[in-house]
Amino acid sequence: MNAFFVWMTVAKIVAFVLFILTGGALMVWVERRLSAMMQDRVGPHRANLGRFRLWGLIHILADGLKMMVKEDFIPRRADRLLHALAPILAFFPVVVTFAVVPFGPTLDFAHLGAVNHEGPLFSGPWATTLQVATIDVGLLFVLAIAGTGVVGAVLAGAASDNRFSLLGSLRAASQMISYEVTLGASLVGCILVFGTLRIEQMVLWQHQHVWGILVQPLAFLLFLVAGIAESKRVPFDLPEGESEIVAGYFLEYSGMKFAMFFLGELMEIVVLAILLTVFFLGGWDVPFLFADGLHVDLPFLDTWVWNWPHGVVVLVQLLGFTVKVGAMVFLQMALRWTLPRFRYDQLMDLGWKVLLPLSLGNIAVTAVVLAALR
Amino acid sequence: MRKLTIDGREIEVAEGTTVIAAARALGIDIPHFCWHPELSVAANCRMCLVEVEKQPKLQPSCQLEAADGMVVHTDTPKVREARRAMMEYLLLNHPVDCPICDQAGECKLQDYYMLYDLKASRLWSEEGKVRKRKRAIFGPHVIYDAERCVMCTRCVRFCAEVVRDPVLIEVHRGDHSEIAVAPGRTLDHAYSLMTAHVCPVGALTSRDFRFQCRVWFLASTPTICPGCATGCNAFLDHHRGEAFRLRPRENPALNRSWLCDDGVLAFRLHNDHRLTAPELGRGDDARPVAWDEALAEAATLLRKVPKTQRAAVLSAEHSCEENWALAAFAREALGVERFFVTGRTAGTADDLLRHADKNPNRAGVRSMLGAEPEPLERLVDEATAGSIRGAVALGAAAATQGPAAAAGLLRLEALVSIAPRRGPLPEAAHVRLPSPSFAETAGTYVNARGQAQEFPQAMSPRGEALEVPDLLARLARRLDLGLPFRSAADVRAAVAPRLPRPAAEGGAP
Amino acid sequence: MPYVVRRPDRNLWEQSYVPETVRGLGVTLRHFFRNVFGRRDTVTLLYPEQRRPYPPRFRGLHRLTQRDDGAPRCTACLCCQTACPAECIHIVAGEYPPEHPLAHVEKYPVEFWIDELRCVSCGLCVEACPCDAIRMDTGLHPRPVEARPHLIYERNLLLSISDTAGNVHTANPRKK
Repeated sequence: MNAFFVWMTVAKIVAFVLFILTGGALMVWVERRLSAMMQDRVGPHRANLGRFRLWGLIHILADGLKMMVKEDFIPRRADRLLHALAPILAFFPVVVTFAVVPFGPTLDFAHLGAVNHEGPLFSGPWATTLQVATIDVGLLFVLAIAGTGVVGAVLAGAASDNRFSLLGSLRAASQMISYEVTLGASLVGCILVFGTLRIEQMVLWQHQHVWGILVQPLAFLLFLVAGIAESKRVPFDLPEGESEIVAGYFLEYSGMKFAMFFLGELMEIVVLAILLTVFFLGGWDVPFLFADGLHVDLPFLDTWVWNWPHGVVVLVQLLGFTVKVGAMVFLQMALRWTLPRFRYDQLMDLGWKVLLPLSLGNIAVTAVVLAALR
Repeated sequence: MRKLTIDGREIEVAEGTTVIAAARALGIDIPHFCWHPELSVAANCRMCLVEVEKQPKLQPSCQLEAADGMVVHTDTPKVREARRAMMEYLLLNHPVDCPICDQAGECKLQDYYMLYDLKASRLWSEEGKVRKRKRAIFGPHVIYDAERCVMCTRCVRFCAEVVRDPVLIEVHRGDHSEIAVAPGRTLDHAYSLMTAHVCPVGALTSRDFRFQCRVWFLASTPTICPGCATGCNAFLDHHRGEAFRLRPRENPALNRSWLCDDGVLAFRLHNDHRLTAPELGRGDDARPVAWDEALAEAATLLRKVPKTQRAAVLSAEHSCEENWALAAFAREALGVERFFVTGRTAGTADDLLRHADKNPNRAGVRSMLGAEPEPLERLVDEATAGSIRGAVALGAAAATQGPAAAAGLLRLEALVSIAPRRGPLPEAAHVRLPSPSFAETAGTYVNARGQAQEFPQAMSPRGEALEVPDLLARLARRLDLGLPFRSAADVRAAVAPRLPRPAAEGGAP
Repeated sequence: MPYVVRRPDRNLWEQSYVPETVRGLGVTLRHFFRNVFGRRDTVTLLYPEQRRPYPPRFRGLHRLTQRDDGAPRCTACLCCQTACPAECIHIVAGEYPPEHPLAHVEKYPVEFWIDELRCVSCGLCVEACPCDAIRMDTGLHPRPVEARPHLIYERNLLLSISDTAGNVHTANPRKK
């Protein structure tokens, strides 16, 4: 383990955390502004720095400032320790999930200008993967961490001494546990196809073969639905259920503690978008773009190759990754402003009677097809 | 008997009956200004023209005697056109100052305009109208506006025929004609407000009611005039707990269609000098208190006086129910044997309506007590002598007045007054308990002729006033004494057999 | 009476949820792209900067009109008080003394109160007025106040309010 590796890891952590936090804050604006556009409204546009309003972007600053100076209210009979712990436990898993996600292929600082003929993943003295941690069980890590998200929600409700909060956390717990099953089961198909649990390998498989969505379309749908349910967003926002239980488990939170729940939920959108991208949309893969440049391979025509320097390729792939994530975020936003909330029995029916059998069926079919092809 | 047909309906009427009266008996209202059932026929307004078969011209139905086989039509195009033309003629010089006019809302010109005319004036300029006297003061109670007058002469005939004091006359001719007071006179007889009452338009109006309230706000409740022992039938017009006037209610057996000026103004008994909260103390020591405190003080005071030295004062101003309740309370609970009666002092009488006794229920008090009550003078004498030391008194007025009477009442050690308003008796009392006015309670009066007449409650009691039976029940509870009645129904049941005779014809509303 | 709730009939296509969701997404996206790139469908008025002009028949605060000599046009006929569905008008009528220059008018409002808090701005008082004495052409809203009694407007205050053109008089349409 050399110094370069350590410094690069620290640098990646800092860069990712900054990216996540600013991304989360930006999501507030995206959600408010996008929903306004979808609903023929104007959206936030009042906050300004002098003459500059920047399409309401300054509201992020205003919101942040407000969150920080607001009274941190704790109910009199609440459990003060758990009440303080809950937002941390809800926020932490969301951030940690980013650790195992590959944002791009390996980047070699020594050969930024040269054409890379080795392939996207390689090692070298000045090479680093665009991923904080490359671990063997990356996918299991993601699922495990996602599973802990429920703890924060349950704690928040239990510690708040409020019936609405408790109801919200009960709903959150049962909903998240129910959909966790589908979330995991839908990925089993991918594991079978890709033959690995390492996330960077999964992306590489898609880079070399074909995107996951094309071989596992049903799994994509199941994962998307289960993922939205996991992030407790419309149409699965029963734990918040404004019309029935006010705000659900984070009802008794204010200031930055509330912001942690709030930002955590928004960042879950990004996490889900990233996971969808990584598992089903080829991650950093950009069509026709290989490690050494553009390969346009049309039928009945000669393969046309245009070599690009390594740095440019990685940059374009990073860009491609970001665009895909953005598209997935947008899809979730649009879904939120399209669908009405489920009833609770409908939610449970969907989870256990529809999604779970479908995901199990998907595994079986995938296994049979793979066995037949072998 | 004469048998005729009006608008396809047959009716048999006595000989001499006019067509308009026959139609009225059928429920057909023929528009009219000058005709009044109690007055002679003038037939000068021409509003009541009807079509009679086999007669070429329209006939004034107020003047037309019913004849056998007569076929009358009151609503043909010809009749309607006559009415419209008549209205146009009457309104030709009318100032149309309805916003200012007190009659608005009960004005026949307004009603008939809406029913039969409903056309804009063909007079192209306001300046062309004949201008006449406005705001002419006719007497202490009546004001005259000549421009609004339709010269129906109801007022003239009323004064001449009913009051037999022909103080009003017609002067000038044509569209300059108007009503005037006879030279050297004012309209000051005792029935002057009836001229305003019979006036179908806003020409004669009451100076007392002037600009006080619009008539459409007024609610009317049938009542008995509390002004004297005649017991005239009347309507009480009131709005939001305030009384505004009494109007005569037709009773052919008693007051016909009339009421005297004092009667019309008797509504003031409801409005003025009201006692609205229980009070303790005399003169400058008087202070309002809560019911509990007042009743406790009354009980303490009454307990101190031995039974033989207690007395009860009934009130000829109050209904039989209230008097019976007090008599029963005094006799059964307090053990009182001496009963006195008070009321307003006697006034002038005439042979038309006014009675010298200015109290509506002296005969009723006698019936309720079953004996003749002693006059208040004797109570004053005995109080001065010290043989009566405590009394429960109903009513505000003291039948005897003067410094001697006041001093005698002040000698009483315990005087509990139950009264709707302030007066000599309550002022002399140690405890004043507010009771409802004549308009705020239902009851029965027995008039000087011995006719018992019931009247309903018009308004809820003002302030903290309590119905007398209720008030006495609370006082009895304070004294730990039993009462022979529990509710207003008990009181009514007890009063009914004691009334002199069934309610007079037309008396019960 | 018991009755059966008819569930809406749905075929397999709709029941499968996904195509219908996609159709719904289409609607959402249509609005989104139209608002971002094309014609804006938003009808929001950015209030302090943009203001919608009041319609010419806007019913604002009441005013009592004056005669040429400044006396109220009102004759205290109480038609407005009668017409008012909110019962927010209270008038006490009085009589001009015989030597008063307006003695021929006889009647005037000694007190004229309008409870602007109870007023529902229906304009029936203006319709009812036979003398054109009460109008709602001031174009004003009741001002914010610190205590409710401040919005119970009194006769002289109502007389002093002018219409949008600054006029406090009206000519009686019927006669001078």
